[in-house]
Amino acid sequence: MIQVQQPTMQTTTAINDKREAMIHLQNVEKVYRTDTIETLALSNINLHIAKGEFLSIMGPSGCGKSTLLNIIGLLDAATKGQVLIDNQDTTHLSDKAMAQFRNKKIGFIFQSYHLINDLAVQDNVELPLLYRSSSAKERRQRSAEALQKVGLSNRMKHFPKQLSGGQKQRVAIARAIVGQPEIILADEPTGNLDSAMGDEIMNILLHLNSTEGTTIIMVTHDEYMAKKTHRLVRLFDGSQVQ
Amino acid sequence: MFRHLFKLIWNKKKENFLMITEMLVSFLVIFAVLSMTVFYYHNYRQPMGFDYEDVWVVNYSAPQSAQRGDSAMLFRQTIRQMLLSMPQIKKLSFAGSNVPFAMSTSNSNIDYNGKSVLANIYDSEISYASVLNMHLKEGRWFTQADEVSKYPPVVINEMTKEALFGKDQAVGKLIGKDNPLKVVGVVQNLKDKGDYQPVEYGMYKLMDTGSYHHASTILLKVQPGTDAAFEGKIFKQLSNAIGSSIEIEHLDKKLASKNKIFLVPAIIATIVAAFLIINVALGLFGVLWYNINKRRSEIGLRRAVGATGNSVSKQLVGEALMLSTFALIIGSFFAVQFPLLNVFDLPEGVYIIAMVLSILFIYFLVIICALYPGRQAAAIYPATALHED
Repeated sequence: MIQVQQPTMQTTTAINDKREAMIHLQNVEKVYRTDTIETLALSNINLHIAKGEFLSIMGPSGCGKSTLLNIIGLLDAATKGQVLIDNQDTTHLSDKAMAQFRNKKIGFIFQSYHLINDLAVQDNVELPLLYRSSSAKERRQRSAEALQKVGLSNRMKHFPKQLSGGQKQRVAIARAIVGQPEIILADEPTGNLDSAMGDEIMNILLHLNSTEGTTIIMVTHDEYMAKKTHRLVRLFDGSQVQ
Repeated sequence: MFRHLFKLIWNKKKENFLMITEMLVSFLVIFAVLSMTVFYYHNYRQPMGFDYEDVWVVNYSAPQSAQRGDSAMLFRQTIRQMLLSMPQIKKLSFAGSNVPFAMSTSNSNIDYNGKSVLANIYDSEISYASVLNMHLKEGRWFTQADEVSKYPPVVINEMTKEALFGKDQAVGKLIGKDNPLKVVGVVQNLKDKGDYQPVEYGMYKLMDTGSYHHASTILLKVQPGTDAAFEGKIFKQLSNAIGSSIEIEHLDKKLASKNKIFLVPAIIATIVAAFLIINVALGLFGVLWYNINKRRSEIGLRRAVGATGNSVSKQLVGEALMLSTFALIIGSFFAVQFPLLNVFDLPEGVYIIAMVLSILFIYFLVIICALYPGRQAAAIYPATALHED
């Protein structure tokens, strides 16, 4: 079980100066088009996220937070601009290369957990490993370790419906870290949880960031949670305002 | 991935029950239709064993005075001479009413050494085999000498020989319990019930004066191209000679009409089965489509954690195939009972071929029905799917 730690605040400049860039967004723009309407979801985003940085993104609903996270996570493509992850330009990757990239480099945590209700906890955690060449034994072992890290070793055979919200989110974190990704993208991970549970989840993320050096980008509405991260980026109407 | 899919399906067994049942029922229907199809195709492939072209069948009612004894023999000789005097008639033979493709059947049990078969009994003459160009496999056909032999001579078909004698020699053996009959020859099996009907056990007896009364059929082998005018001529002459109504049919037309009797219900059954299969295919397609729409967030998640569009598509097709495998295992259990319990008395091979074809057909159907929904699933945009919940 991860021990609760008090986070330490650092400035953006300090981190960027000291550490190499993990994610670099250059003039990123995202436009959603329908037959009649064009909606500018992101405009001229330039963001440099260092390796090991814990960044939070805040802003009102519909300001483009999740869109930005999706673009960084290669779940969506930017209309313009460049997205470099670990010095690799991801703009023109094929579907297969993008899938491999997501599988190896990125772990996702969602507000609504997105667990598969028909699979036991351990099977849910194993999911990312199914898409790489690892043996069943290795998958079992690594998923058990991931669940141990989030304190759910005793719930491996349970099904998501048998878990509380906080436990579900911990399973989602275990699933995100089981493949040992360098980046974790968390889309309002504490949004559906009460404050105590939210703190618990936040502490797990902080611990992962501090002990394993995982780069974490978290979208949140919670100022209190955002303050625990290294840096805060604010969006408003698709533009970066802080 | 196989274990993963298995778990996913097993954990949703209640939801999948109806789909498995639908596939099971489809399998059983297809198995039934294919068993029949394979059986009839197998029959169709068998050689006919005789020539039916240019063979006419004359059915008549002999006058009361010419049904038994010498008068019957005299009557036959007169008719025979009259018909053979016509150059268009090459050969003829008097026969029982169960000539090829006739609706009439005459059968009896034949016993040999504790074995017994229910065989068709054909009343025939010395010229019968040559009129139909039957193919002898062993021994000989009847000769004049047989008319005075100690034991009534018989010729059996290959199927009867196989059942009663196996690989042993049949010619010269006595069959039957109370009135022994001597086997003088073995002929190739005659498929005389139609193209699609199975060969049956058969035994040919040489008619004597005692059996003339129930032999009221004449087989005529005519010259190729003999026309309706000649048919009219012999109709008139025979009517005058016999003094009662007669009926002339052509064996090739009788075969066509016999085949039609079989084909019409078979085609209707196939159309009904085809509609059922279309329904099943639409049902499967609908269920798979519905499942994909219900599982959009799962599909989005799989894409997020590293699945390509192609692997999502493959997974959904794989799940459908696994579900069908469950149905096919259950279905095969029922299907295998048919050869084991010898239901409907069809050959084992027919059931086995039908089973294999049904399994392949169900897999084919499932793949076809799952491909498009699978491709649709692959096209789901993960960013959208993950934000729908």
